[in-house]
Amino acid sequence: MSEDLLNYVVDYSRSLGVKYSEARYQLDKYFTIILRNGKLVTLGTSINDGVGIRLVYDNVLTFSATNKLGRDELVGIVRDAVSRARATTHLVKTPTRFSDDVVSRGSYEVIPTKDFNSLDISEKVKLLAELHEVIVSSVKEVKVPTTYCEYVEHIQEKLIVNSDGGFVRGRVPRLLIILNLVLHHPQKGSIQRIIEFGASGGLELIDEWDLFKVVEEEVKNLEKSLVEGVEPPKEPVDVVLGPEVVGIIVHESAGHPMEADRILGRESAQAGESYVKPEYVGSYRIGSEYVTVVEDPTIPRSYGYYEYDDECIKARPRYLYKEGIIYEPLHNRQTAYVFGTRSNGSSRAMDYASEPLIRMSNTYFKPGDMEFEELIEDIGLGVYIKSYMEWNIDDIRWNQRYVGLESYLIVNGELRGYVRNPVLELTTAGLYSKVVGVDKNLRFYPGTCGKGDPPQGVPVWFGGPNIRLSKVRLGVTV
Amino acid sequence: MSSELLDTAGTLLRKLRSSYDELAVMINGIDSVMVKIVNNNVALKYSRKSYNVGLYLVKGRKVLILESSTSDLNQLSRAADDISKYVHIIEESELYAPLPEPRQVKPLGNLVDGNVVKYMGEPAKLCEVLINSAVNEGVERVSGILSLGVRSKALVSSNGFEGFEVGSEVSTYLRVFKGDYSGHWAYGSRFLDLKSIEDVGRTAAQYASYAKGFIDIPPGRYDVILSPLVVGNLMELVVSMTSAFNVLAGFSMFISKSLGDVVATDKLTLADVPRDIELSGSTSFDDEGVETYNKELISRGSLKTLLHNSKTARKFNTVSTGNAGWITPRPWNIAVAPGDSDVDEMVREVRNGLLISNNWYTRLQNYVEGAFSTVSRDAVLVIRDGEVVGNARRVRIADNLSRLLSNIWLVGRKCYLIKWWEVEVPSKVPYILVKDLNITKPFE
Repeated sequence: MSEDLLNYVVDYSRSLGVKYSEARYQLDKYFTIILRNGKLVTLGTSINDGVGIRLVYDNVLTFSATNKLGRDELVGIVRDAVSRARATTHLVKTPTRFSDDVVSRGSYEVIPTKDFNSLDISEKVKLLAELHEVIVSSVKEVKVPTTYCEYVEHIQEKLIVNSDGGFVRGRVPRLLIILNLVLHHPQKGSIQRIIEFGASGGLELIDEWDLFKVVEEEVKNLEKSLVEGVEPPKEPVDVVLGPEVVGIIVHESAGHPMEADRILGRESAQAGESYVKPEYVGSYRIGSEYVTVVEDPTIPRSYGYYEYDDECIKARPRYLYKEGIIYEPLHNRQTAYVFGTRSNGSSRAMDYASEPLIRMSNTYFKPGDMEFEELIEDIGLGVYIKSYMEWNIDDIRWNQRYVGLESYLIVNGELRGYVRNPVLELTTAGLYSKVVGVDKNLRFYPGTCGKGDPPQGVPVWFGGPNIRLSKVRLGVTV
Repeated sequence: MSSELLDTAGTLLRKLRSSYDELAVMINGIDSVMVKIVNNNVALKYSRKSYNVGLYLVKGRKVLILESSTSDLNQLSRAADDISKYVHIIEESELYAPLPEPRQVKPLGNLVDGNVVKYMGEPAKLCEVLINSAVNEGVERVSGILSLGVRSKALVSSNGFEGFEVGSEVSTYLRVFKGDYSGHWAYGSRFLDLKSIEDVGRTAAQYASYAKGFIDIPPGRYDVILSPLVVGNLMELVVSMTSAFNVLAGFSMFISKSLGDVVATDKLTLADVPRDIELSGSTSFDDEGVETYNKELISRGSLKTLLHNSKTARKFNTVSTGNAGWITPRPWNIAVAPGDSDVDEMVREVRNGLLISNNWYTRLQNYVEGAFSTVSRDAVLVIRDGEVVGNARRVRIADNLSRLLSNIWLVGRKCYLIKWWEVEVPSKVPYILVKDLNITKPFE
C-alpha cells in the first residue's frame, strides 16, 4: 500500500468538508499449526489486509472499511460515509471533538533474532508434537485424555496517515503457543489447564520460554493438585497470589475500569461501564500504598508492543493506580478532549476493518523488592494461588472472581501440600485494600483482550509479582 | 452477484486444480452498516464492504487451509503456491477424510429482505424508532447497536459442488438506564420487523422500570428464571460443546458421554436449525457442500447427536450432520423447543428465587466437567412466594452446566429471536426456570 494513496484519500475527504480524516492500511498475516494429541490436524495461512477510514463530518464520527484497495473504491467509501453522516447529523447531540494533541511522524519495528522462516515447518510440527510427549510422560497416576496445541505466527503491519499531519509505519511479528490439556483420575475427577506463551519477536522466543521444562513442571504439579489437593481453609487466611493471577486481576480490575471511553459510557451496551467516575482521577483511594499498576505499550518484546498508537500519538507508560490512588485513565483524542487533557496514546484497532478503540497493551502490578520467601515467611496458615482457569468480573469492574488451579497450602512460612480450586471472590476495593506485601518476581503472560462491536481481540500482556493479601475468606467450587 | 462470485471461485479452482488431490474455494462477501448509539446519541456510523476467500487444499491426505481478504487471483495463487511448499514436509492429517460427494441441495428460498437493504441506506430512521421506543417508556439513557447487512457466499469444490447463497440480516440490542436501574434486550433475524425493533426498546425499558428497591440477598441456592438473553448465552456454550472437534480437543463436557445418555431433564430439547430462515445463520449447504438439515442435539433430555463435518464423522464412525467448518463443525442457528409455561407462571412457581434478565462473562474452570460461572448485568428481580419483591444487585451463577441442564423445571412457550454481543449464534429461545442454582457474591 502506498503512502501516496492514503494521503490522497485524506486530502479528498478534506475537499468534501470533512473536519478530521484518518486512513489506515493494515495487514495481519497468520500462520497456524494445529495438533491434537501430538498429531497434526492442519496448517493454515490467513492474510487479511485492507483500509479503514475514520472521518468526522458535520459532528458525526464515521468508520468505513474495505479490502478493495483501488483509488476509485477508496474514494467511493469516503463519499458514502459523508453521505450517510449527513443523513444522521440530526441524531448527534454530542459533537465529536478531538484533543489538541501534537501528532507524530514516526515508525517502529520489532526485528526478530530468529526469523519465522529459520526453522523448517516439519521441525516446528515436531517440536509441538514433543510437547504432547512431555505432558504424557510427566504424569504417573493420572491419564491424559486429550491435549490440543495451537501455534500461531502473526505479522502485523500498519501504515497510518491523518489530516493533522500524523504518519506512522509499524511492523510487529508475534508468536503465540496455546496448550490445552486434561488430566483425569478415576476417583478424583479431572483437572484442565490452558497454558499460553506469547510475545513479539521471532523463533528465539521458543528457546527463551524453555517450553519443555515449564510444561513438565506444571503438569507434575497439576497431577499432584488433582490427586492430593484438599479444600482451602474455611476461616479467613492470608492469601498469596502468583504473577499469573495478579496479571489477570490488574487487567480486569485496573486496566478495564481505567479506559476513559468506558468511564464515559461509550461501551455501556457492550463490555460495560466503570466504577470509576471522572472526578475520582487523582484522588480516589482504591487500595493500599503497595498498589501501583502500570500500563506500558513500549516494553520491548512485549505481546502488546507499539510505539505510536493508531491516532499517531507517541506511546508512553501510564500509571493507572499509583500507591493505591486512581491516577491516569487510558485516553484517545476523543476522551482526552472530554476530560480536558491530552491523549496518552491508547488507540488501537485489531485489523483494517475495525475502529480504533482505547485498548490496554501491557498491564502490570509494579513489583517491590522482597524475595518470595520473605513474602510468606510469617504466614502461619495461608494459601498460595499460582495459576487459574475460571475468572470473570461484572460490567462495572467491581465484583470479580478467580478460581485457582495450581495452589498450595502455606504452613508456618512454607509451601506444604496442594489446595484444590480455591475461589477468590472480592470487590475491587476489597481486593486492593488487602494488599500487604509485594515481591520482586515480575512476570508477564499473554492474552487476547476483547472489546467493541464488531468485537475486536487485541494482543496484550498482563503480569505482576507475587502479592500477599491479608485475611481473605476463600470459597470453594460446587 | 451470484455469477460474479461463482466465476471467481471457479477460476481459482481451475487455476489450482492440478496441484492438489482435492480442493474447495469459499468466497464470503459482506456489505454492512452499523450505527452505535451511546447515551441517546449516535456515536459512530460504521460500514464495511469486503470479500474473503478461503481455500481448502489437500494433497496426499495432508490438509492445508488458506484464508485471504484479497480478491486478486494472482496474489491468491501465489499464496497457495507458498503454502503448497509445506505439503512435502508435513505428515498426514489425523482427521483427514475426503470431501463428500456432492448431492442435490434444496435451496432455502428468498433470504433477502428488501426492507433491510432499503434501511441500509437510511439507518437513521430505524435508530430513531429504536431510541424512541425506550425513551417513550421513561428511561433516561439509551445505548446500543443497530446493524443491517447482506452476506453472500459461494462455494465450489474439486468434486463438482457449486453453491451460492445471499441473505440479509438485522440485529439490534439496547441497554437502557433509569436511575440505579438498567434493562437490556436484543433481536436478530434475516428480516426486518418494525414491531420487533420497537420491542427491543420497550422490553429493555420495562426491565429498567422494575424499580422496587434493592434487597441484599445472601449467597446460596435459588430457583432462577433465566431470560432468553441468558438462555441464549448458556445454550450457545452447551451447543459449542456438541461440536465433535471440541469433544476431541477437550473443550466439551460431552467427552465422556455417549449418544442416548441423559444429560438434561426431559423438559429440554435443544436443536441446530439451519433451515429456520427467520434466523440469520440459516444456510442450505455447509463448507463441504453438504446439505444442511435441522437436528435435535439434546432431545427431551437425551444426547442425540454431535455436530459433525466429514472429518469428525469419520473419526466417530458416523456421517456428517452438515455443520462443516473445514476443521471445526459449528452450529448455524440454535433453538430451544418451546415448553408450556410463561414467565408469569414461572414467577408464581418460585418460592425463593431470582429472575436474571441478562448476563455476561461466562467462563469455565473445567470444560470436561462443566464447572462454570457467569455474572448478571441489568435487572435481577428477587422473587418470594410467587411475587417480585425487589431487585438484587449484580450476582453470579457459579455452578455446573450438567447440573443446570438437569434442574430445568419449566420452559416458556414463547421463543424470542436473540442475537447480540453475548449471543453470537442466532438463537430462538424462551424463558427457562432452573431449580436450585448456586448464586455467589463477593465476600467483601
